[in-house]
Amino acid sequence: MIHPDNFPLLKFVVDRVEVGIFAVDQAMRVTLWNRFMAVHSGRAADEVLGQNLFDCFPELPRKWLEKKIQSVFVLKNYSFTSWEHRPYLFRFHHNRPITGGIDTMQQNCTFLPVRGDGENVNHVCVTIFDYTDTALYQGRLKSAIADLEAERSEQRILIKKLEEAHNQLLQSEKLASIGQLAAGVAHEINNPVGFVNSNLGSLEKYVRDWARLLDLYEQAEECLAPHPEVLAGIRDTKREIDIDFVKDDIRQLIRESKDGLDRVKNIVQDLKDFSRVGETDWQWADVHKCLDGTLNVVWNEIKYKADVVKEYGKIPEIECIPSQLNQVFMNLLVNAAHAIAERGQIVLRTGHERDWVSVSVSDTGVGIAPENINRIYDPFFTTKPVGTGTGLGLSISHSIISKHGGRIDMESVVGSGTTFRVWLPVCQAVQAQGSPG
Amino acid sequence: MSAVILTDEQREALQEITNVGMGQAGASIATILNEFVHLSVPKIFILRADEISPSIVSLVGDAEVSAVRQAFHGAFRGEAIVIYRNQSHTDIADLMGYDPDVDTVEEYELILDVTNILVGACLGGVAEQIRADIGFSAPSIMAEHIPAGRLISPDEVGSAWALFVEVNFALEGRSFACHLIALMPEEEILAVGKALDWFMETL
Repeated sequence: MIHPDNFPLLKFVVDRVEVGIFAVDQAMRVTLWNRFMAVHSGRAADEVLGQNLFDCFPELPRKWLEKKIQSVFVLKNYSFTSWEHRPYLFRFHHNRPITGGIDTMQQNCTFLPVRGDGENVNHVCVTIFDYTDTALYQGRLKSAIADLEAERSEQRILIKKLEEAHNQLLQSEKLASIGQLAAGVAHEINNPVGFVNSNLGSLEKYVRDWARLLDLYEQAEECLAPHPEVLAGIRDTKREIDIDFVKDDIRQLIRESKDGLDRVKNIVQDLKDFSRVGETDWQWADVHKCLDGTLNVVWNEIKYKADVVKEYGKIPEIECIPSQLNQVFMNLLVNAAHAIAERGQIVLRTGHERDWVSVSVSDTGVGIAPENINRIYDPFFTTKPVGTGTGLGLSISHSIISKHGGRIDMESVVGSGTTFRVWLPVCQAVQAQGSPG
Repeated sequence: MSAVILTDEQREALQEITNVGMGQAGASIATILNEFVHLSVPKIFILRADEISPSIVSLVGDAEVSAVRQAFHGAFRGEAIVIYRNQSHTDIADLMGYDPDVDTVEEYELILDVTNILVGACLGGVAEQIRADIGFSAPSIMAEHIPAGRLISPDEVGSAWALFVEVNFALEGRSFACHLIALMPEEEILAVGKALDWFMETL
């Protein structure tokens, strides 16, 4: 080995350089110990040189370090440690007694094979670099990155929420435009219905007058006895057209037509009430009226699937946005009908408990699979065939009810049916006072 | 195309030298670990950049792996990658002087240590055969728990062609196994060729 003692400049540099340098021979005896090592370990070179490294420093991880040094002797090859995995080899104080922040000098070590005669390795020299500053800086960087990551994941959640809100907005805008369309159509229908209705009123009066006149003529038939051929003609025609039936039926036809027109008027009115989607005014409304109106609008979807049983309780008017509640009731009713495979029953129940009103929709449908229960309010979650459901109905309903300060409960038994119960506060100020049910 | 970069003679010589080199490496590793090590016969290819990743998959499989890279420099220059199947590397903790129940950080140090020994033994063994002097950088973690096919992406490879040498290791009676892949860029292949010519002349 080219020992630094033989080269004064080299000796000075090795001794004074701000890097820990020591060497051991095959027997683990210390053969070099520079000033950095002496200063930081508190053991002067003459205390250590010639001694077994592990006798001098029993706290060193002997088994591992011996293996490491042995591998350098055998392979005649460098070996390394890094502060990231092994913070230190020797427990040295770090060089920041005042500003601190870390308890031990962080070290990167290199084990280099020293070939004395050019062939065999007879010493292993270890250099110890102080990486404390790097470690501190890395630590700060890591915590900054962790903060950024946390912020980013929060942002991702916000973006997802925003997306959901955007989708709901799109859906409600779509519903609003359908609503406007429906209101327009309702208005257009109202006009002809109006004049048909008034014409029908006149027609009824004219027919009544006509019938009165006909009765008079009938009474005058006796006066036609001298003209049997005229009388016979009249009687033949009366028989032919079954005048007695016609007289009865004409009144019934008009009455039924008027009923039909009334129903058209009601449906148009319900459609107009229902379609006030854009309307966001809070008002006092009768939940039963909302339910009945909605039921009329979706009747066509339900009537072939289920008998509807109403078990309405006595409930007060509540402070709400009726058009939005209509939308919730429509979703629940349509879902109930869709859940029924062949034919079943839908029960609408309402009730009143302290400051809360409840509306439940129960069906005798297929029920909700347990694995889907946590997802039913997720936007775009649907079990209906592609193109049938948007997966937004319950999501929108949920947000409408939340906005009303209420909540939706659900009970479902696979194979026997599902009940959705909507709880709504009677007045919006009551929201903070406890929860329903 | 690859025949142009190394002649058949050079290729045969390289195979021979790596075979002998691996024999020496196996002996050195056995001395350190006190266990018998199985080393495969080295497989040598000259590959286009886009062939490297598929070759790794065909040799290693596409399971999740961790990998350590270590550069070598001197007479010839390149990078060695040691690829570890995720479940097997704690199995040799005790042989390397670690506690058998290593934690995650120690596990990283362990595979860095193992890499240093395998790369040093194998490439050192080969270098010694042709009397070349090579040194090594400190090993560093290249990837953790990713499919083997994603270790190297073709657009990250800086050279159109690469010399690709694969050796795999297994320890008798233990589940530990890993693959060492040495990669050298195109211009280094010529240097290797020259070193091989010199070696054959001196035989």
